[in-house]
Amino acid sequence: MDDKDRDMLISIGPQHPALKEPTSFSLALRGEKIDAIQVKIGYNHRGIEKGCESRTYIQDMYLLERICGICSHAHSTAYVQAVETIAGLQVPRRALYIRTLIGELERIHSHLLWLGVAGHEIGFDTLLMYTWRDREAVMDLLAELTGNRVNYGINTIGGVRRDLTKEEGEKILKIIDKLEEQTKYYVQIAQEESTLIQRLSGVGKLPKADALRLGAVGPTARASSIAFDVRKDDPYAAYGELDFKVVSADQADVYGRTVVRLGELLEAYSLIRQVIKNLPDGPIAVRAPRKIPAGEALSRYEAPRGEDVHYVKANGTDMPERVKVRAPTLANSQAIAKMLEDRYLADLPIVVAAIDPCFSCTDRAIEVEGKGLMSWEKLRQYSIDWYRKQGVDFRNVKRII
Amino acid sequence: MSDLTQIKQQLEDKFVYLKGGIREQGERRLWSEVSYDLFFDVFGYAVKELGFDALCTITGLDEGEYLAFIYHLSKGGLVFNLKTKILKDKEDLRTVIDYFPGAAIYEREVVDLLGVKVAGLPDGVRYPLPDDWPAGQYPLRKDWDPKVLDQKEAG
Amino acid sequence: MLSALFNILVFPGLLFLSFLGTTAEYIDRKLYARFQNRVGPPWFQPVADLIKLFGKSEVVPEEADPAMFKLVPLVALAATCAAYLYIPIWGTKALYYFKGDLIVILYLLTLPTFTFFLGGWYSRSLYATIGAIRSVTQLFAYEIPLLLAVLAPALLANTWSLSEMVEYYTVHPWYWLFNLIGFGVALIALLGKLERVPFDSPEAETEIVAGSFTEYSGRFLAFFRWAIDIEAVVGASLLAAVFMPFGLGYAPVVAFTLYLIKILFILCLLTLARTVMARLRIDQMIDFCWRIVAPVAFLQILINLILKEILL
Repeated sequence: MDDKDRDMLISIGPQHPALKEPTSFSLALRGEKIDAIQVKIGYNHRGIEKGCESRTYIQDMYLLERICGICSHAHSTAYVQAVETIAGLQVPRRALYIRTLIGELERIHSHLLWLGVAGHEIGFDTLLMYTWRDREAVMDLLAELTGNRVNYGINTIGGVRRDLTKEEGEKILKIIDKLEEQTKYYVQIAQEESTLIQRLSGVGKLPKADALRLGAVGPTARASSIAFDVRKDDPYAAYGELDFKVVSADQADVYGRTVVRLGELLEAYSLIRQVIKNLPDGPIAVRAPRKIPAGEALSRYEAPRGEDVHYVKANGTDMPERVKVRAPTLANSQAIAKMLEDRYLADLPIVVAAIDPCFSCTDRAIEVEGKGLMSWEKLRQYSIDWYRKQGVDFRNVKRII
Repeated sequence: MSDLTQIKQQLEDKFVYLKGGIREQGERRLWSEVSYDLFFDVFGYAVKELGFDALCTITGLDEGEYLAFIYHLSKGGLVFNLKTKILKDKEDLRTVIDYFPGAAIYEREVVDLLGVKVAGLPDGVRYPLPDDWPAGQYPLRKDWDPKVLDQKEAG
Repeated sequence: MLSALFNILVFPGLLFLSFLGTTAEYIDRKLYARFQNRVGPPWFQPVADLIKLFGKSEVVPEEADPAMFKLVPLVALAATCAAYLYIPIWGTKALYYFKGDLIVILYLLTLPTFTFFLGGWYSRSLYATIGAIRSVTQLFAYEIPLLLAVLAPALLANTWSLSEMVEYYTVHPWYWLFNLIGFGVALIALLGKLERVPFDSPEAETEIVAGSFTEYSGRFLAFFRWAIDIEAVVGASLLAAVFMPFGLGYAPVVAFTLYLIKILFILCLLTLARTVMARLRIDQMIDFCWRIVAPVAFLQILINLILKEILL
């Protein structure tokens, strides 16, 4: 290698427009080609596992729900399932169905979000705007059903906290119909738009053998023809009683991962229809003891990004001895270097995005009970009044527009 | 006979010392414990012969004098949780990346959080603690006190 | 002397061009937003952005070459404005013309890309360097097809002067229809020149932040933005004059209105392209230009050579 051919060292992250959460990639580039890559993660380590040891079981549930803003239901369900196994609680069927419903709604909003981010990473912002507009419908629906847009707080140990009314069920079906229509349109785009296909096809190859070796999970693994889905193979909640198929693809590239996620969206719509149709009657929770008897359990959950693993060890007090979380992104992060072997710098954002790394989301709470939904003007007035009570007056501030 | 019972049977037939030491939980979970000098026999057998083709994660536990590690092996929906113990600060783990290359990140995690040494783990970027984390501080040990960090900031 | 100054600074020079450029940016942004189900900016947003940028303090990287870093944005602005004076917009004659002015226009329109390269290169930032190299790499891919596409109508008209070309096509009002293939080629090349999706890899934000402009801020960034706005209008005007030369023989007011409609049409096509497409990688872009666009441009030249034999 002579001097002219020397590698250029470039760092993407910890802060970079392509990254929605801090991660760091150090790249050695030769021209546009990636020669070597080093991945550093861990910038988001918040000591949650340690924190769980000094909080009660119920407090932990809310803490674990905040690991991630997108798959919050995944984490809280995986955790309560483990605790319920240790305590030997029989969760009512209605609660299991509601958990499944929220889980699938979460999958829809997560996959739509992913589709938009993928579009943005390859400079196709129109797709981003479209999918995120559709995603709002699901977010609003979740807010109406659970009270929150992201950290739903619907789970509790032994069941769920909110019941589903008949009207809500009908509304869900209406929105699902619309979303299904839109999703079919995106499937069509993915099949026809040539620049999109050019940017996704053959990019980020992960052959089946490598996916197995490196422990890839979720849509990343399913796009490499590993038809493993916790919902099917290790059924939890109501999945054992519902009819759905595991979507997999054999392209083993980013395009395959897109196909899998689009397929899963369509499956999720069918699952939600089944849940609402077959929703059993009965209580939504059983009483859980404050102190959980000694024991241990491992719970798995198919989060939108892949298999989420929670291990809980109880010691007979009201606080767990140990909680261990393995989020899907950690498993998939091992495969990034392999996927980027011999690829171009321009492929990095989409390849990284294609494992759908979990980013923290901000929470926004709106009041559903009592005062009802507030309009923008009303909300603004409310905040002005609230501040006036604190001694801050906005009346003299002129609005610019 | 369910898959789970069959696997339990196979394990007990192969390793006499496991007899009575394997616990079934629900339909798809097996729990067992083995001393560290015998660990790789059982682990290797489960991976190579019984078809456990994925490692969910490695959980590290601080049990006073010992550090315990649970290797969660999975075969489709079945999970075999194999636990083993080593003396804290006196014994080291050996790496399992020969079986699962992707396990490196889980091993780095227990290295950082529990302060165990893993023989055979290649050098690399640490995970998950920051580069300027004080040496000798292992947050997941029961006797660890977060106040150390305040002192560091004040200093 | 005074009238020359008026021409350069007011009409059809800097002031008028700035008005057209910011309006074009507004139309582009508004249309793009409406295509995407968004509201889009108010009409004064592009101007407001420029004013805001001029008001911000600028940072020159310590490692950068300060003279080059500050000079190149002005060169970009000057070059695009100069090119405009040779393009006929309200009649068959441009304000200034001479034999071979077509080559000068193309040359002046190449300068902004070189300033992007120099600006990025002299920023000494890694992202900017990669962006700069991509700008120049891309230049070699689209410049030849553009030259070939513009050459074809010129061959038919047998002149290297844009004004004389327009006159020729005014005399033969339907001949512009022969050049439609060339128009398509030139549109693709213009997308590359303006570094717009699908050819915006020189400033792909998800890979290299802002490419050449990563280190630019305040006034200098404003000059660049300004130059790019004007470049879009000048590029569209060139295409309008070369490929849609009809109607320039009418009264100046009619010709000018027609001219505005033509560039609006071209600008809308550019916006549509960036709405429905994803960004191509630089290697795919070059592949596409050399394997498809350049041969098509040659085809247009071949057609025009044959036509010339038949028609003349």
